[in-house]
Amino acid sequence: MSKRTLLLSVVASLTIVAPCIAQSGIGAQNTNPRQIMEEVQRRARSDSQHYEGTLEVIGGGNRIATKRWIYDRLGSFGASKAVLRFVAPPEVKGVGLLILNHPERASDQWMWRPNIGREQRIAFQDRSTRFFGTDFSFEDLEERDVGQYDFKFESDDAAAWKLESTPRKKSQYTHSYLWIGKNNYTVTRIELYTKMGLMRAIDYRDFEQVQGVWTPRTTEIGDVTRNSRTILKYDKLEYNVPLKDADFTLDALRRGT
Amino acid sequence: MMLWRLISWPYARKHLLRWLLTAAGIVLGVGVFVGMHTANRSVLAAFQETIDRIAGSTQLQVTAGEPGFDENVLEKVQDVPGVRAAAPVIEATVSTREGNLLILGVDMLGDRSLRNYDLENSDAAIDDPLVFLAQADSLLVTKTFADKTGLRVNSRLPLRTMQGDLTFTIRGVMKPGGLASAFGGDLAIMDIYAAQKFLGRGRKFDRVDVALDDGVSLGEGIAKLRAVVGPGFEIAPPSSRGEQFEQTSRIYSVGSNITSAFALFIGMFIIYNTFAIAVTQRRTEIGILRALGSTRGQIRALFLGESAVAGLVGSALGVLFGIGLARAMAGYIGGILTEVYGVAQRAGDIAIDPWLIGGALIMGIATSMVAAVIPARAAAAVDPVKALQKGRNQAVGERENRLRQWSAAGCAVASVVALALSRNTIIFYAGFVLVVIAAVLLAPALTLWLARLLRPLLRRARPVEGTLAADSLIQGPKRTSGTVAALMLSIALVISLGGLARSSYQSIVEWMRIALNPDLFVTTAESVTARTFVFPASLGDGLRGVPGVAEVQLVRSVRVNVKGAPVMLIALDVRSMEQRAKLPAVEGDFNGMYRRTANGEAVLASENYVRLHGAKLGELLEIPTPSGMLHLPIAGIVRDFSDQQGSLLISRDVFKRAWDDDSVNVFRLYLAPGANEADVRQRIIDRFGKTQRLFVLTNGDVRRFIRQLTDQWFGLTYVQIAVAVLIAVLGVVNALTVSITDRRRELGVLQAVGALRQQIRHTVWMEALSIGAIGLALGWALGAVTLYYAVGIARRDLIGIEIGYSYPFDTALLLAPVILAAAYLAALAPGESAVKGSLVEALEYE
Amino acid sequence: MIHLRGISKRFEGKRTVTALERLDVDIAGGEMVSIVGPSGSGKSTLLNLIGGLDRATEGDLEIDGATLSRLTDDQLTRVRRDKIGFIFQFFNLLPTLTAFENVALPLHLRGWRRAKIDERARELLKLVQLDHRLDHLPDELSGGERQRVAIARALSVYPPILLADEPTGNLDTATGAEILKLMHGVHERLGSTVLIVTHDAAVAESCERTLHIRDGRIVDDIRRAVSPDVRQDAHHKVSRV
Repeated sequence: MSKRTLLLSVVASLTIVAPCIAQSGIGAQNTNPRQIMEEVQRRARSDSQHYEGTLEVIGGGNRIATKRWIYDRLGSFGASKAVLRFVAPPEVKGVGLLILNHPERASDQWMWRPNIGREQRIAFQDRSTRFFGTDFSFEDLEERDVGQYDFKFESDDAAAWKLESTPRKKSQYTHSYLWIGKNNYTVTRIELYTKMGLMRAIDYRDFEQVQGVWTPRTTEIGDVTRNSRTILKYDKLEYNVPLKDADFTLDALRRGT
Repeated sequence: MMLWRLISWPYARKHLLRWLLTAAGIVLGVGVFVGMHTANRSVLAAFQETIDRIAGSTQLQVTAGEPGFDENVLEKVQDVPGVRAAAPVIEATVSTREGNLLILGVDMLGDRSLRNYDLENSDAAIDDPLVFLAQADSLLVTKTFADKTGLRVNSRLPLRTMQGDLTFTIRGVMKPGGLASAFGGDLAIMDIYAAQKFLGRGRKFDRVDVALDDGVSLGEGIAKLRAVVGPGFEIAPPSSRGEQFEQTSRIYSVGSNITSAFALFIGMFIIYNTFAIAVTQRRTEIGILRALGSTRGQIRALFLGESAVAGLVGSALGVLFGIGLARAMAGYIGGILTEVYGVAQRAGDIAIDPWLIGGALIMGIATSMVAAVIPARAAAAVDPVKALQKGRNQAVGERENRLRQWSAAGCAVASVVALALSRNTIIFYAGFVLVVIAAVLLAPALTLWLARLLRPLLRRARPVEGTLAADSLIQGPKRTSGTVAALMLSIALVISLGGLARSSYQSIVEWMRIALNPDLFVTTAESVTARTFVFPASLGDGLRGVPGVAEVQLVRSVRVNVKGAPVMLIALDVRSMEQRAKLPAVEGDFNGMYRRTANGEAVLASENYVRLHGAKLGELLEIPTPSGMLHLPIAGIVRDFSDQQGSLLISRDVFKRAWDDDSVNVFRLYLAPGANEADVRQRIIDRFGKTQRLFVLTNGDVRRFIRQLTDQWFGLTYVQIAVAVLIAVLGVVNALTVSITDRRRELGVLQAVGALRQQIRHTVWMEALSIGAIGLALGWALGAVTLYYAVGIARRDLIGIEIGYSYPFDTALLLAPVILAAAYLAALAPGESAVKGSLVEALEYE
Repeated sequence: MIHLRGISKRFEGKRTVTALERLDVDIAGGEMVSIVGPSGSGKSTLLNLIGGLDRATEGDLEIDGATLSRLTDDQLTRVRRDKIGFIFQFFNLLPTLTAFENVALPLHLRGWRRAKIDERARELLKLVQLDHRLDHLPDELSGGERQRVAIARALSVYPPILLADEPTGNLDTATGAEILKLMHGVHERLGSTVLIVTHDAAVAESCERTLHIRDGRIVDDIRRAVSPDVRQDAHHKVSRV
């Protein structure tokens, strides 16, 4: 389990980003980027997770659209499964998303639409599209194995390392920069680049230790091209809650558990 | 040029009205030609534009005929290497209170990689695909449609769906331009899965739109896709849909081409007539010119130049008239195509093709000049000495007369020979042309003969006026024979079109009697032909359970491409049809053909399919289906009018297997003996009407609908008939105007020796009526012949159905009062001009 | 029979042309009057006015008690067809009708009975010595014969007034003389009032009265006693103009 997955996905990464630098076996002088990332992953590790998220999309003219969802994850890094289900506003209530991550390839994603009574597979070609009017894309929801990226040391200051990561597999992004806090090995900022240049910037804030894991309570993601941003806040966040495999199937998605 | 300005222009100015009337034939001929073609082109352009706008950045479309294909194909297509994006589409036209609305079912998640959805107020919740997707009643409409209907975001729009009447919510309004301008802006976007549900598509898509990766050519893309989806699918750029449509609208061009040819031909006679008279009238002037030293060539050039100008003016007016006509026709043709073919388009603007306009102008000018060749030659041949002697007429060349009659005989003989060899299409058409030419060449002699027959009759009616009118015809064959020929052609055209309409009508009525004999029809729309919605087959079981229903036939009709042409494929229970509504067989083993088709071993082809697409009995047809090519021989040819492009009847079991589709367009219901039609109808509506979009039509309703459709189809024919009659009337007006001018002196003498004005009027009127009567008689006769050819053309190239020869006596009879009244009306103005004006001048007139 | 009072005729156009200027003429019944003058002097215009083919711009014209200016077009036509016969220089026969039919035409126009028409037409053609040419078309007749037909047609209802515009103008000398003789014969036998517009001095002199017109005015009004000899002489001297 030592050097397995890198969590680039926004939602999941926020939830899992790790605490506990104090007990670290790795020295502060360690500047091997892959080792840093493996440490990040190690610290954020948990078997499952649950939270209730509030999503605010702040568009032009500071118009705010708010949505709420419940998020459950089972397993960690690469092999995890997640279900995200909207609870508010009323017109989207019940819409669910099932994500099955695979260490060796892109995730499978299905959307459930209770009103139409059927699920819909999110095609790989559509992963770069925006996730329901927010500032992140479907691709940003998935976990990818650390082995799917190459890392390069970029720079380093008193508080953080800056790394460059390049995907080995097909992605909408050409590369990205990550800032990792030196004190607790948490990712604090990610800048995502496409062929066109900077596309998205993600900031993780309000870190708190939850069940020993350093966890941000707020994530802000900005879409540079659209000039809008999305703020995600986490409530009732718990790790290692008892969840069953059967809750992460298409049938379960349809049942709307 | 000088000659023209000094000689032609003053003359033309003096006879302006006559020149305008002369050009009228050209105006109508060119007008009809430009009008019909422009209308066709406009509909086509509108259709192409709708396709283009809807296509967005789509490079290829994967289709499998009208019934569509299973949604699993989408993932296969998406996984093909080189495919950048693939998005499913369902397209349907539904009627709303505000008219037809094109519903485009798309997957809002992925579709943006192909199409642009620019929304008004494009931020915040409106632009929230989640709401759009979460709510099945979501629609995006265009700004155009929203403005037209007063709808705004969150407004409600009721639509008739397969789930009954539902209210949809406008979730967004698209900015004008691009996609939002397709179908004239009457466009709504629905989620594809909602569209599947509400349009009764099951788990099927109509097509998948594909964009390729950069550097992948269309050819490579097609090859890669073909390997994945199989041969039953069609993979082609969006523009190829326009080509198919073009083929469909071709029928309209053939008919209108014949009409415009006739109009021009008739116009040619009017021009010939006018020029022949002009040459007679201007004999002195020509004589003077010749005496002053102009050459024969100059005289000829003068007249040909005048005819070219008349042709140019007529063609220019014709182009304007045609564009006006096109505006009126485009909507009409578009309406028919939408109705019959379910093709979504909206002809908003007229697409003017400069080549077409240029061609029409040249055509008009050439016609005019050809018409003037003989008069121009006659003018060049004028003997200056004789011409300058006052009061002497140059007799019509006896030689010319003989030549004409010999040519007529030659043409007649040749046409008979052509008739014997008429299996060849070109020879057949050539025979047609020869018959018309023979008739035209014989017209002067026949006119003379008929005028002589009429003389005693007219004399009895009114001794003086009648005799004078008849003598004017007899003595001025040049003056009248052109008009009579024009009239004859017009009437023959009307008889042909009328006969064709009548015969087709009779055939259709006969077919309806045999094929449309169920007591009730359960359909998804008021119109039997609409295929936007389909029923699940399970409804058939429900209908069988309704008390009073004895038998239910399930019919699914879809348009598929066979031998490169869109054909109607009708899947039904062949055995049941054989018992209940056995179509008349044209060719093949009468009993075996139904058995083989029912067993799924063969198809039955309609007569018009075989004719129009050159198929033969026993031919192995290749029918593309989503599960591959279906190879079935034609076991029999039957008379079926289900579709203008032809129809193929196959077993429903075969269809279900090959298309994996058990949906139904129409349930044909036979009632048990003694069951009351109205009661059963009500029971069906009560039982299924609330949860299911359905219409229960009685046999009478369906027949009425088909009759209406037929009328609509023949509406174009009636327009052509109206044009023909109009040309005929113009011909009479022209002839009389010319005749009055020509006879001014004579009419002056009459008044000088004591004729009252009323008597002069009567003379003119009787002459007009005589021209009308002679034209009618000749037209009736020629019509009998041309109808024969029209039936042949219809069979070969228009509708592909052997319609019987049936002379339209009612139309012929109706023409008599119409033409005579028109002749009378045409005579009113010339009659007045004959009694107005200075008598002194008239007497000195030369 | 014919009374003109202050008759003027002007043709309006780009330039107004005065054809007749305040004419006063009285012609008694049974007179045979020739009207002479140079081309464009207004003699044909005068004849057209008297014949009711045209209307005067000013003045009163009375024919056999009817004042033409007060009549409608149809009333004018009635006066014309009941009282006036026309003879034209170019005959103006209808080319489609036989000699007989041409003569019968005015009678038909008056709605006579068939038998009566036949009788009268034959009588008239006999009068002009063409009873052997009844069924000939104008094209088949000589110039003189055509003019005879025209005279017969003009006489169809034995009108009190006979107007002739250059009746010999389109004929050779001998034929012209014959026609003149015929007209004198008609005048004598029927007692009609005859007006002849002519260029020919011999024709003019054969009439008992001659009006000389120049520039729209009557410049001379000569009355003479014409003996049958003079007339006979004139018949020989008549020449083609």
